[in-house]
Amino acid sequence: MGRIIAVLAFMVAALIGVVATDRPRPRADLVWIEPSDFNTIDPQRMSHLPDLRIAYALFEGLVRWDTSSEDLHVVPALARSWDVSGDRLTYTFHLDPEATWSNGDPVTASDFAYAWQRALMPETGADYIQLFHLIRGGREFTDFRAEQLKTYADRPESERTLDAAHMLRAEADRRFRATVAVSAEEARTLVVTLIRPVPFFLDLCAFGPFLPVHPLTLERFIDLDPRTAALHQRHGWTKPPFLVNNGPYVIERWRFKRDMRLTPNPHYRDRTLARSKSLAVNFIENQNTALLAFRSGAADWHSDLEVDYIGDLLDESRAGRRDDLRALDAFGTYFWSFNCSAKLSDGRDNPFHDPRVRRAFTLAVDKNAIVDQVRRGAERPATTLIPPGSIPGFRSPPGLPFDTARARAELESAGWIDRDSDGVPENAAGTPFPTVEMLATPVGAHKDVAQVLGRMWEAALGVPSKVVIRETKVYSASLKKQDYMVARGAWFGDYLDPSTFLEIHRTGNGNNDRAFSDPKYDRLLARADNEPEPARRLTLLEEAERYAMEEALPILPIWHYEHYYLARPENAPGGLKNLSTHPRLIQYPFLLEVAR
Amino acid sequence: MIPLILRRLVQLPLIILAVYTVTFVLAWALPGEAVLTDEGRQPPAEVLNALRARYHLDDPARFYFEYLYRASGAMWTIESLKGASGSPPPHVFDLGPSFRYEDWSVNELVASSLPVSIVLGLSAIVIALALGLTAGIIGALRPNSLIDLATLSVALLGISLPAFVIGTLLLLIFPVWLGVGSVGSWGRPIDMILPALTLSLPFAAYIARLTRMGMIEVLNADYVRTARAKGLAPSAVILKHALKNAFLPVLSYLGPACAMAMTGSFVVERVFNVPGIGQHFVGAVKNKDLFVIMGITLIYSTMLTLFNLATDALYRWVDPRIS
Repeated sequence: MGRIIAVLAFMVAALIGVVATDRPRPRADLVWIEPSDFNTIDPQRMSHLPDLRIAYALFEGLVRWDTSSEDLHVVPALARSWDVSGDRLTYTFHLDPEATWSNGDPVTASDFAYAWQRALMPETGADYIQLFHLIRGGREFTDFRAEQLKTYADRPESERTLDAAHMLRAEADRRFRATVAVSAEEARTLVVTLIRPVPFFLDLCAFGPFLPVHPLTLERFIDLDPRTAALHQRHGWTKPPFLVNNGPYVIERWRFKRDMRLTPNPHYRDRTLARSKSLAVNFIENQNTALLAFRSGAADWHSDLEVDYIGDLLDESRAGRRDDLRALDAFGTYFWSFNCSAKLSDGRDNPFHDPRVRRAFTLAVDKNAIVDQVRRGAERPATTLIPPGSIPGFRSPPGLPFDTARARAELESAGWIDRDSDGVPENAAGTPFPTVEMLATPVGAHKDVAQVLGRMWEAALGVPSKVVIRETKVYSASLKKQDYMVARGAWFGDYLDPSTFLEIHRTGNGNNDRAFSDPKYDRLLARADNEPEPARRLTLLEEAERYAMEEALPILPIWHYEHYYLARPENAPGGLKNLSTHPRLIQYPFLLEVAR
Repeated sequence: MIPLILRRLVQLPLIILAVYTVTFVLAWALPGEAVLTDEGRQPPAEVLNALRARYHLDDPARFYFEYLYRASGAMWTIESLKGASGSPPPHVFDLGPSFRYEDWSVNELVASSLPVSIVLGLSAIVIALALGLTAGIIGALRPNSLIDLATLSVALLGISLPAFVIGTLLLLIFPVWLGVGSVGSWGRPIDMILPALTLSLPFAAYIARLTRMGMIEVLNADYVRTARAKGLAPSAVILKHALKNAFLPVLSYLGPACAMAMTGSFVVERVFNVPGIGQHFVGAVKNKDLFVIMGITLIYSTMLTLFNLATDALYRWVDPRIS
């Protein structure tokens, strides 16, 4: 018996020991919930909304958005002012001489050059590398480095040494300075020249991937791989005590999938910018738990509520039974993609190669019914890719209506006519329309939407369909290979310009999962690229959107996204102040403040 | 006992190698590609190719051996022996980076989540022992009585009600309605009570059944009758003489139960937002996060093997009749 008690006593003692070593801090002034831990806080590699949000608290770019303004214009941040050349190709930024890193080092123009060179190196793995190709020489530099690494890999083993890899890197550095139009010759002056006038370039300068990094810190975490000569950025630099950043906050503690705590950066030049003395992010994946956590008062803001019963919550809100749900129009659209290739992956002819068929399938869909009855949220039915009214000066076309008679006429004009009166249309050769396979993923409302779409197509066009569910990873791979007929899809804009949406239909674009290729559409985009006059450029882009959404239809738009926050009303105790309501959903954590 | 431990320790690397190989085959057979993000932005081909080359995703054999070389500690040993000329990796057992959470290595994931799971699992087992032994003894004293039926029914509920139902219910009752404790946070002892209780219920139910059966059998044994006959107090008979032997089946169950409680709490982790290791098992497979899958499986299989060894050793220590 004594021995059994010894075993149990040991277990209890071990427990007490571990618990005693883990002491929590008091609640932060502002606590918010993120549904998942950050993928990365490395500015050049990030692309997720939560990552960008935390980056804006940690790093400061050349400019920042005025998030309270209607048009989300940029205001000075690290750059106190800037000049734009007459041809609108060259930007000269004058950096604030008082700007410092969190270790006291001054922030210089070369820190930007270093960060942007990083983004252009293929081995960094920057999701937004293409944005940097708007800088003159950027594209060529990426190609140069990729080629450099490729030739190196073909060398015999004996010529692949650490020294050789270092030489290669030095050569790339020289090449960058000589050919990429980012000049940091004076410490406080950054000069950038673009390949063409880019009306949204200042908007990009406020965007996460363009934030500066502290070169000395990053260099301590770089390995050169003698086997490939590629630069390996070890990840440790993004965490305290190593992280050196230049924004209004520094990380006090970051525990994976638990929490992140931020305190004001003592070296930040403007102490009044950071409104809260301490910030905490709690990562809660289970949305029901997150909802309960918010309700119990453990958090002041839930940054992304995504639950199946959002319709019920909205009903409660409308009935006045809850005041903490905030629905915001988002800068994104939910759609279904048509595979536009001539052949399907199994070699059959693809009926959706014909724009008339794509138009027929779009005209046959009642989007109001889907939004009201399937989604039951506050989403707006969509007839275009770009959410109307989200980009100042851009007029959205009406798109295609819900019109089953016109849908049938379009399908018949494409040669698909019910020739044997069995209800299913056949082509001239008598082959019936193939069963439409609808590729969806298991989570969310996709399956329900697919079933409703299928029924609408069946009712209007007599076309049979079936839903194919694949895991997200498999689904992504299928999209890339055009191994589908129609598939669910979505797109969110990155910068305040129509091209952030319209580019996805350009021939060869990395996000053109539909393999859509239309010379007329490409010509419109190319003409817009070369149009120096902003108003005329916008007209060309409006025409591109109209052509895609009324004639070519690579996608079937369903709804424009709505984003849901949980936050108590501004004036109530514990209410959250200064949340931006702009569709871009850019929230600067340093502006947020809880009413006490 | 020492030869047993030594023999098992020699077997350990072979078992781990077998597990590693099977995991490797399964992980590579997973459809989808690790370097592609699930949604939205896809970097261009030259970036994807650079990433594939970096992690040997284009060469399974190379991946298999290189990972083994790093994870087994061989690389660290060799580089350290070379001394100044090479730079040893930061960890002895380098389990690689996470694709999904780019700022973390698998070592860091394990270091942050394993202690949490161990604490939660141990608490659950302690609670399960307290609940299970009490219920089992009470039931065994009056078999088939009303109180026995009641404890058995509660035990059945504990086994059959899923954790997300009990967990959500407990969250609603205590932190939300009564204002006791917190939702979605972890660190204070009070944060641990509800998840540990939820996790403990199926174990408690099983322990209750084991104890009840064992006790009923032992209470009818001759030596217990002798103890009663010589006039010992009922409590001394039950706790000192009967429980000692009735506990042995529970003890042999404790080893696997501990391992299960410390790793198999994915649902409890999600409901209570506990930052434990269970989430990585599921999340990594969903994200095809190769290094996380391999690393976590290695850790788990090592743990499980060591736990079984510890249970066997303990069993011999507590009950010297077993040789």
